Parts: sequence; C-alpha cells; structure tokens
Amino acid sequence: MASVNVKKVFKKYGDVEVVHGIDLEIEDGSFVVLLGPSGCGKSTLLRMIAGLESITSGTVEIAGRRVNDVHPKDRNIAMVFQNYALYAHMKVRDNMSFSLQLAKRPQAEIDEKVAWAAKILNLEPYLDRYPRELSGGQRQRVAMGRAIVRNPAVFLFDEPLSNLDAKLRVQMRTEIKELHERLKTTTVYVTHDQIEAMTMADKIVILRDGVIEQVGTPLEVYDHPTNLFVAEFIGSPAMNLLRGAVVKDGVKVADGTVLPLPAKHKAKAGQKVVYGIRPEHLKPSRKGSKAKVVVVEPTGPEIHIYADLGGQEVCAITDERLVLARDDMIDLSPKLDKIHLFDLESGKALA
Amino acid sequence: MELSRPWQILRDVVAVLVTGLFMFPILWWALTSIKPISAIFDKDRVVFFDFVPTWINYGVTMLGMSRSQLAIDQGIGMGVGGAEAYDSRRSIIDSMVVSVGSTAVTTVIAVLAAYALSRMAFRGRATFLNWVLGQRFMPPIAILIPLVTIYKTAGLRDTDNLYMGYLGLMLIYALINLPIAVLLMKSFFDDVPKDVDEAAMIDGATRIQTFRKVVLPMVKGGVAATAVLCFIFSWTEFLLSLFLTTDIRTVPVKIQTFVTSTGNEWGFIAALGTAAVIPSFIFILLVQRHLVRGLTLGSLKE
Ligand SMILES: Nc1ncnc2c1ncn2[C@@H]1O[C@H](COP(=O)(O)OP(=O)(O)OP(=O)(O)O)[C@@H](O)[C@H]1O
Ligand SMILES: [Mg+2]
Repeated sequence: MASVNVKKVFKKYGDVEVVHGIDLEIEDGSFVVLLGPSGCGKSTLLRMIAGLESITSGTVEIAGRRVNDVHPKDRNIAMVFQNYALYAHMKVRDNMSFSLQLAKRPQAEIDEKVAWAAKILNLEPYLDRYPRELSGGQRQRVAMGRAIVRNPAVFLFDEPLSNLDAKLRVQMRTEIKELHERLKTTTVYVTHDQIEAMTMADKIVILRDGVIEQVGTPLEVYDHPTNLFVAEFIGSPAMNLLRGAVVKDGVKVADGTVLPLPAKHKAKAGQKVVYGIRPEHLKPSRKGSKAKVVVVEPTGPEIHIYADLGGQEVCAITDERLVLARDDMIDLSPKLDKIHLFDLESGKALA
Repeated sequence: MELSRPWQILRDVVAVLVTGLFMFPILWWALTSIKPISAIFDKDRVVFFDFVPTWINYGVTMLGMSRSQLAIDQGIGMGVGGAEAYDSRRSIIDSMVVSVGSTAVTTVIAVLAAYALSRMAFRGRATFLNWVLGQRFMPPIAILIPLVTIYKTAGLRDTDNLYMGYLGLMLIYALINLPIAVLLMKSFFDDVPKDVDEAAMIDGATRIQTFRKVVLPMVKGGVAATAVLCFIFSWTEFLLSLFLTTDIRTVPVKIQTFVTSTGNEWGFIAALGTAAVIPSFIFILLVQRHLVRGLTLGSLKE
C-alpha cells in the first residue's frame, strides 16, 4: 500500500502540451476516480503514474519515492486495461500467475495466490480455459485477478468497464468497489462515466483539457461545483443553466422573466451570471416562473418535465403524478437554498 | 449482407467457373504426367481420360530409374538413352536446401524487424517502411547482370564452391522476400494490441521477455503464414537461380532443361511440375486461415 503524489506534472507530445501542470495527492488506501470528457488527458495521467508514458516535467512519487525514471515493473503497481489485454495464448491460470512466474516465486506460493484470487473473483471453474472461451465480464475479472495476485501498492484502472453491457457494468462496479473495501489497496480509476465516478469514488478528480477543474468527494462536487464545467458535467439529467443579469429581487433572463434568489447571495447588482438549478430542485408549484411544457418523460419513481422557461429548455423533476401535455403552461419554482450562481465571464461559482 | 436467391446462385456459379478456370491447367498437368507418350503426342485427337496410366514419368524424374528399362518392362514406347539427365533427385534436394534455408533466414529477420516497426517509435520509421516496400517494386531482371558480377566477385557462385552457391541463392531469396515478409509480419503484430505489451511490462517482463513469452506466441500463426509465403517464392523462383548457379539446379531450372534440341519431354516436365506443387499445396492448406488475414493486412477481424 502506498500514497501517490503527482507534483506539477506536464506532458508534451512533440510540441503539443496535453497535460498542463497537475498537482494531486492520493492518500494511502483511497479510491480516486479521474473523471473527464474524452481527450482530457485522463489516460495520459494514469499512464504517467504507471510508467508507460514519459513525464515531460514534474514528479510522480509512489510511497514517497520519486519514480519518474523507474521502469513500470519496478513501481509495484498493477494496471487493468480497457480491452483487458489478456495473454490470448495462455490459460486463465497462467495469465494470473505470469507476473509471479517472472519473479521466480516458488510454485507453492504461486498456486496459493492464484487459488486465492480465483476464489475472490469467482473464477475457480475457469482456471483452465483460454481467454477466448470466456465472456466479457469473466475476462474483465481475469484482468483484475492478474492485478491482485501480485499484491501491488497501487491499482490503476483505465476505463475497465466501458466494453461491457450496461447491466454487467453495474454489477462489476459493485465488485470492484467490494474488492477495494476488502484489500484497501490505493486505487486510481479512470472513467468518463460520471455515474461510475459518483458511485465508486472516495474522491473524484475532474479534468478538462489537461487541467484539474475540481477535486472532492462525490457529494461535494455534486452539491458544490466550483465552476460551470463541473456543474454541467456532473449529474444526469444535467443542471439547468440560465444566463441572465442580477437585478433587485433575482436574476433576469433573456425574455425578461425574473428568477428568484435567496435573500443572501454573493452576486453584485447588474452582474452577468449563470443561474444554475438541478432538475430535482426545480418543482412545479402553484406560483412560480411560467414555463411551457415541451416533453414529459415518466421514469417510474419520478416524472421528468422538459419545459421552455425564459426562452431556454429546462428540466424539472417531480414525484407528483401530474398529467401534462405539450404546450401546457406550468409554474416552476426552484428551491431557494439549492441555487448555484456562476460568474458568466470566469465560469467560477459565486459561493 | 444477404443476397437474394438468384444472386446467390449466380455467385456460386461464377465461383465454380473461376475456380475451374484456375484449376484446369493443374489438372491437365497432373493428367499429362501419368499419360503414356502415345497419349501425350496423339496427333489426331486430344486424349482426356482414355489412356492406360503409367508411373514411368515419376519413376524417371523422382526415383532416377532408367527410362529405357522402364519402357521395355512396361512394353511401351522405344528406349531412349540419356536417362541420367532426367533424374531430378539432386534438384529436389537443392531446392529444399535453398528454400528452407532462405525461409529460415527471412522469417527470423522479418519477425524481429516487424516487431520493432510495429512497437518502437524511432526516427525515420515511416520512411524506412516505405523504403522496405519500395524494394519490392524492382523487377529482379533489372538487377540481374550487376548481381551476377557481384556474386562472381564475392565468390557466392557455385562454380568456385558449392556451399557458397547455396548460400548465395539463400541470400538473394531472403533479400527479395524480406520486404513482403516484414510487411506481413508487421500486420500480424499490429493486430496484437499494444496494451498486451504494456500489461506484460507491468507484470515484470523485460522487452525481450515480452517479445518471446507474450507477443511472439500470439502471432505464431502469422509466422507460419509468412514462412510459407517465403518458401513458395523460393521454391518456384526461376530467373535468379538460372543465372546465379551452374552446378546447383533448383527444380524450376531443372524442368526447363527438359526442353531440349531433340524434343520436349512433356511427360517428365508434367511429372516433376506436378510433384513440385505438392509441398506448396500442403503448406498453404495448413496456414490458409492466417494467410487470408495477413494478406488483407489486418483489415479483416476474425
Ligand atoms: N501518442 C500521442 N501522441 C500525440 N498526442 C496524443 C498521444 N496520446 C494522446 N494524445 C493526445 O493527448 C490528449 C489526451 O489523451 P488521453 O488519451 O489521455 O485522453 P483521455 O482523457 O484518456 O480520453 P478518452 O476518454 O477518450 O480515453 C488527447 O488530446 C490526445 O489526442
Ligand atoms: Mg483514455
């Protein structure tokens, strides 16, 4: 087990800089998720920690040791790849024991470790099969088995579930989480799926274009996004964001509608802002802002109402069984203590 | 895409016709090889199947039997002398030595080069690849005369030393085969995701161990396919062998000597020709699956 420290790390491919100075502390035993849209540099950062990609400048430390020039095999890490990267010509047993074989461990120890990993991952019936004879989920488990037999200091996962179907993904998500609870090995997990990040992480690191936008626990980043990007990226359906200017008793949007603000807020009068409200905090009410219904989507427990409010489409969620049709007029009211305000220019939250 | 019924039938008919067109000469050759002389040279009609099969042509070319003796034993034809000249056993050995040797050299070099080209980034990699391919555009006949001179100077001709002659042929076949072998092998290596190398490295393997224990076993079908392709080229090559050797007579060159000033020995030509197809045929059967994949250069998946 070990902590991982990333200090002022930059990465250039030729003349193109793709990671612009990342500072990140990963505590011993924690489960950290790197989250961000495609191409933001998540894999690059992970691969620099693994030693598969050179570090242009800055330092990576594992367990307090600077590892910039240490070969991947000497970093005491294990990695699980998106496409599993199993050794197709080896049986499951040999896939899992390959690293121990290379390290010339005694056969008894190898057998014991493989049996232990197979038991944890429910792979016992498949030890003598080839990877091609397994399902996607089983292959994923073999890849994880290969990682855990070595008892590494750090696990690195690069979108390990994105090749699986939705149902299996949910199941494997739980399994990985359980595995972490059990082994308590420091884990860095890359994904672009925010649900995966929310459900699994101790700490989420949100990246955009090679820069960290916010670091925090899942609920911190959900409840208190520090900027527009995070507000938009986390949550599904996404937070409603309406541009406007601060007036005396609220925020005036394009068509003149004034959206309410709580008595205490940090915005200056006349300031151009983005008014953010999560769908679950925007409810139909007797008296609120007028909105015209566009689409109604019942999901079962709730109804998602998409409506035109002040010239923009917003989403509101309610568990009331409302009967609504297109073009119906409704009143929508935000929960005053759940309103987010962002400066339009900088995108920063006005806390 | 599902074809409608008439199109399916049309497709099958065309496939059979095309295959037949390509197979017919081989069938005819095989038939000719077991025909008695009277059937081969019948001036009134084309003989298809109504002849008494004879193994005399194989006996003479493959087993070194005397033709006159065989002819008398079987009571056909008249005895002709000079049977020695048709004994091709030595040629078969020559061809085997040269083909197997050059295939081994080519395969080893191609596998190593292709792994490097597929996995390692180095200055001028793309240029090198184009250059490798460019070699293949040059017709051998264009370099033949300088090559003969070079070989003579370098002592790679069999006139001085028989073993150097073998070596010389192996070398030139290896050189000619290398471009296509490298490209083919590269396409097989490219099919193995880089992640596999990286996983092995994280598992503690060195570059050499990664290559030997992980990647190479995953492309062994490709290695076999590449080797077969090299073998077939060397086995059938005529021009270079004709010019670069005197004492060594590979099978294609040997067959050509059956066309003589006193007549063409069609029976012997057909027998040796048919026999020479067999090794290639067997090898191709063994690696067919990999060849189709390799020759499409990785554009088809499984
Ligand atoms: N070998 C390379 N050469 C040049 N640019 C590269 C290379 N690898 C990645 N990049 C660039 O670096 C940026 C970050 O890539 P990276 O693979 O880390 O993204 P990612 O966040 O993992 O995206 P995804 O979710 O699609 O996997 C991208 O803009 C990509 O184009
Ligand atoms: Mg990635």
